[in-house]
Amino acid sequence: MTRLRKLLATIRLPAISVLVALLVGAIVIMLSDLEVLGKIPQDPLGAIVLGVQRVYLAYTSLLMGAFGDPAKFGKAIAAGGDAVLWAKAFRPITETLLASVPLMFVGLAVMVSFRTGVFNIGGEGQFMMGALGGTIAAIVLGGAGLPTPITILGVVALGALFGAAWAFIPGILKARVGASEVITTIMLNYIANLFIFFLLVNWELIQREDRTQPISKALDKFVVIPTILPIEALRLHLGFIVALLLAVVVSWFLWRTAKGFELRAAGLNLPAARYAGMGAASSVVIAMLISGAIAGIGGAFEVVGTVKQLTTAISGGVGFTAIAIALVGGTRPSGVVATSLVFGALRNGGALMGLNTGIPIDLLFFIQALVIMFIAAPSLTQRLIRSPFKRRVKEATA
Amino acid sequence: MSTAVMSAVAESAEQRAALRSARIRAVIFLLFTLASFSAASAAGAKEAIFSFWIDKIGGKDIILTFPIAVPWLISGAISGAIATLQFLRGASFRWRAAIGIAAPFYAVATVGALLDGTAANLTVLFTGTLNYAAPVAIGSLAGIISERSGVLNIAIEGKFLLGALAGAVASSLFGVAIAGPIAGLLIGAAVGLLLAVLGLRYKVDQIVAGTIINIGALGITNFLYLRVLQRYPDLNQPVNIDPVTIPVLSDIPVIGNIFFNLSPYFYVAVLLVGFFTYAIFKTRWGLRLRASGEQPSAAGTVGVDVIKLRYRSMILAGALAGFAGSYLALSGTGGFGMGISSGRGFIALAALIFGAWHPVYAFGAALIFGFADATQTLLSILGVGLPPQVLLAVPYVMTIIVVAGLIGRVRGPASAGRPYEQG
Amino acid sequence: MRLELREITKQFPGVLANDRVSIAVDKGEVLGLLGENGAGKTTLMNILSGLYRPDSGAILIDGTERVFRDPAEAIAAGIGMVHQHFMLVPVFDVIESVALGAEPTTGPLGTFDRATARKQIIELSERYGLAVDPDAKIENLPVGVRQRVEILKALYRKSDILVLDEPSAVLTPQETEELFEIIRGLAKAGTSVIFITHKLNEVLAVADRITVLRRGAVAGNTTPSKADASSLAEMMVGREVQLTVSRGASKPGKPILQVQAMNVLDGRGGVAVHEASFEVHAGEILAVAGVQGNGQTELVEALTGLRPIDSGSLILDGNHLEGGSPRHIADAGVAHIPEDRSRDGMIKGMTVAENYVLNAYHRPPFSTGGRLDLKAIAARATQAVKDFDVRTPSIDTDIASLSGGNQQKVIVAREFGRDVRLVVAAQPTRGLDVGSIEYIHHRIVEQRDAGAAVLIVSTELDEVLALGDRVAVMYEGRIVGILDAKDATRERVGLLMGGAVA
Repeated sequence: MTRLRKLLATIRLPAISVLVALLVGAIVIMLSDLEVLGKIPQDPLGAIVLGVQRVYLAYTSLLMGAFGDPAKFGKAIAAGGDAVLWAKAFRPITETLLASVPLMFVGLAVMVSFRTGVFNIGGEGQFMMGALGGTIAAIVLGGAGLPTPITILGVVALGALFGAAWAFIPGILKARVGASEVITTIMLNYIANLFIFFLLVNWELIQREDRTQPISKALDKFVVIPTILPIEALRLHLGFIVALLLAVVVSWFLWRTAKGFELRAAGLNLPAARYAGMGAASSVVIAMLISGAIAGIGGAFEVVGTVKQLTTAISGGVGFTAIAIALVGGTRPSGVVATSLVFGALRNGGALMGLNTGIPIDLLFFIQALVIMFIAAPSLTQRLIRSPFKRRVKEATA
Repeated sequence: MSTAVMSAVAESAEQRAALRSARIRAVIFLLFTLASFSAASAAGAKEAIFSFWIDKIGGKDIILTFPIAVPWLISGAISGAIATLQFLRGASFRWRAAIGIAAPFYAVATVGALLDGTAANLTVLFTGTLNYAAPVAIGSLAGIISERSGVLNIAIEGKFLLGALAGAVASSLFGVAIAGPIAGLLIGAAVGLLLAVLGLRYKVDQIVAGTIINIGALGITNFLYLRVLQRYPDLNQPVNIDPVTIPVLSDIPVIGNIFFNLSPYFYVAVLLVGFFTYAIFKTRWGLRLRASGEQPSAAGTVGVDVIKLRYRSMILAGALAGFAGSYLALSGTGGFGMGISSGRGFIALAALIFGAWHPVYAFGAALIFGFADATQTLLSILGVGLPPQVLLAVPYVMTIIVVAGLIGRVRGPASAGRPYEQG
Repeated sequence: MRLELREITKQFPGVLANDRVSIAVDKGEVLGLLGENGAGKTTLMNILSGLYRPDSGAILIDGTERVFRDPAEAIAAGIGMVHQHFMLVPVFDVIESVALGAEPTTGPLGTFDRATARKQIIELSERYGLAVDPDAKIENLPVGVRQRVEILKALYRKSDILVLDEPSAVLTPQETEELFEIIRGLAKAGTSVIFITHKLNEVLAVADRITVLRRGAVAGNTTPSKADASSLAEMMVGREVQLTVSRGASKPGKPILQVQAMNVLDGRGGVAVHEASFEVHAGEILAVAGVQGNGQTELVEALTGLRPIDSGSLILDGNHLEGGSPRHIADAGVAHIPEDRSRDGMIKGMTVAENYVLNAYHRPPFSTGGRLDLKAIAARATQAVKDFDVRTPSIDTDIASLSGGNQQKVIVAREFGRDVRLVVAAQPTRGLDVGSIEYIHHRIVEQRDAGAAVLIVSTELDEVLALGDRVAVMYEGRIVGILDAKDATRERVGLLMGGAVA
């Protein structure tokens, strides 16, 4: 019982933040609907009804896109063991899980750095570099005809290596000369993008045959990451398991090892860490290496397992979503996993919302920004929720 | 050892570091000298064939032909002189200004070398450079004002986007050219106020606050573009703000086309940079601004209201950045497009760091970045020379080198990013 | 009276910083305000300068009551503050620093009129003998000159009530002497000066009248002719709390800690510890007395590896430890109770158990092969919580939610929870309740009786006298005397602390 209460207390602020952000999103949907706006002068009530209808349609599409259509589940149950119908019913859920995979990786990566007091906003670049490493490994090892498990190991290893290398630069610069990791990681995000663009149009090894656009060879020709569900059509792959395992490993590392203890101590109170005999500078570098490696593995799985080709759009803003995820998840691995699932559901459901109602998925970025804001300014959030009640109380007493 | 001797030792430790960076700079300038001379000898008799439009773009042109070795030799000689002065004068040498003198010759030499004998008209290269620099310079100016007051500002990118969208829509709605910049200014000021409230009142980490604005701006502008502007294209038909022709001056052959036939934003940028350079370094407002960014307690204890000053600076900075953002949608680009700022807000951030929080130097950095960008455009049109990504990466790489402190410590306002508790 | 503070009271959460404090200073008079750190001097000055509002009491200027809502109003009333930590912008030059906030301007843009400011500053510096180069950058000026700039700042604003907060803290003796000359000159010219310090000889040298503050209240008023250093020291330190520590006679064994001719720099270009030499033997407590800021902090940091030793030697059990890292020194058997508990001693956001193993987490039994043994940590922490009577809901509670006394018990438990050769305890009972103080003293004596060498640094004279088997006194970075407990009377130690005799 107390555990449950504790859990509720932990998720209260994140949950409220997400809900309020969705509410603001609803208002934005209404206000950006010119039909609704146009109706206000003649028929204000009708306008509100129409607006609410639109929001309802949007958010129900979002939910169905994320978790599936009850009707389809009904059909599948009625038909019994028809694998195709079951696949159709389950597909939204598995796609949600798939969408949450890169978020988990980068969310964990950013979380580790935040825990050490390093504001790594270079998850984007580290993820891209990991994707590049994964692409190279897939083409070279898969192309050489090595067995799939070995190729996959190579993909993960090179992804981790590339991501870690990219994160090493801001890490060592911060530790040695105190260069702000915020500035260096922002710049490195752009450099990673340009670097990959450059390789995609200049390096025959990875460039797609007979194309001048920045796109890599189709990677499924070289290696296929095995899916983990019995039904072929469901794309959820090994990366999901690896992400969950990594969450456990990160949790174990931070709370069960001496090194992890040092990193957390340095993140919370640098003078005290120094007093207790820990090396503060090395903590920064180690945290960045771990952070970059995890983001890199995420990039490698995303490119080889899900998208199956490398383009400069591979990251799709995942580095920024990861900041939201790390903060909403209370910088805990379990929280990051849970939040990634929620954000993955939003991402995946957003696609159906766009299809059904024409409301662009980009709204979710705005909602993410609001979520970060509500989490980062808890007193503001309290005010927003409480102020209507407070006012009433004041009136009553006056 | 006496206290006096000790303090002399301690002082010289800092001076030693400054001297070391100065030496490193001297060596770098020397390497540039050697590289220029070897480039000159490698170029041999190869000629650069540059042309410029004389009176109007696409009209008659004048062709300049000279050996590529010539600008290399001049650049080498200037670098040599700079290296010598840097070595002799040590830390007190104003090397940023010196780079400003050498840069044009390097620009000519580099373009000549990259073109490698291909004939090219350079008028557009230069106007492209200047036009690129306009919003970037105003954006860095915004960053400079807010950081000089003590608030970190990584949200220039977000303000650019919002300013561009607001500018496009307002201009389309009202059908007058001036509506666009004004709308950009207003929305920018509002975002600046939001940032200030988050950072100063709710004590949200200023980096997190900036990130909120950047992500949120990207999301909301994309959303509104797809949901509203695409369905109602009338809302995205702004009155373009065309280049203005400055009477008399624009009739000067060659030069007139380059400098006096530009977007009004460029001239506004020049005026703003001049005005704020004066305001920051010569006026009472500037003195208080710099004090609250460096040592807010020093300002607070003599009765300066630091918090109020920071609020005002944030709103001003937001207005400038939003104004600069409106340029992106109103300069013949066909209105607002998704992600129209394409990272230029971060390039403005890079320019302000590279320019050591000084408006004029930041403008210089914006020109260098703009030149890299324009050269890249020219080369890819002609299909010669370097891969474009190399030039596009110039601002980002240069910024990392600068914050790494290798060529000399750039010192930002000491208290930027730290909340100040009054009383 | 030019300025009078009447019955000023200011309460902070948990602290009564000023308790009906009244002080007064006349035109052309120098008032010495004497008190230990934490006696309420700074709060009083912040009230005077408009940064705080008093809960009750009045500020009178020339007999009229005034209320200062912000620093600007206090400045307008003629009050000029010279803060202990200079309020100067390092990258500004002298003219900019002095004029900031009261800038002469010209033109429609509010252009800063440097020429006018420059002229006024040169005039002031000549009139009052404050030699300063007006165009020099602050960061290039020695501290003594920076202080002159601060005084110029006040004069520039036409302040005729000058408040100097611990002005000599950062000055060399020569610079201090120059400062006294300046103060005497200002007073002669009609300025009222409030000189805040904890140094007895300074008030005796420069003040016309002396007010002593203790624990937020006025402990007495006197004049230099009526008082001497020992009477002032007694007034300042007081003796309300009679500390009694039950302890047997010490049985000193062989020397454990040997410090020889140690010099430590303060990081600002000065020497913090000057040629310190002493020994601490097994089974004895050496208590280091001294007014705060006389090098004790740096001495402790040097002994524990947090601050490099410039020269001299640090020997523990016959082994040289100069240049050793904090971990190296801790592993050699040095327990350290740090002066700044919340900054250095613990990590808020971590649990009681985690804080308990803060400097031993990397060793068996707490970890093996880089893996933490949570069971062992929990078992030891549970035991420690019991042994040291830490009042906490559980060992998994965030240490931030514990009271100060219980936090300190966790730190003490951690430091004493292993084989200890030397205890270095800095201000081990500052800010604690009486019960916790007694408990921690008891534990320290226990370590001594178990054969450890103990070095305690305290600015509380009572604590020093209650615990010390020998008492060393630090003054201006030097150990000015080491007394046996029987010779260490309150008066003798107080005199040494004030630097009255060497």
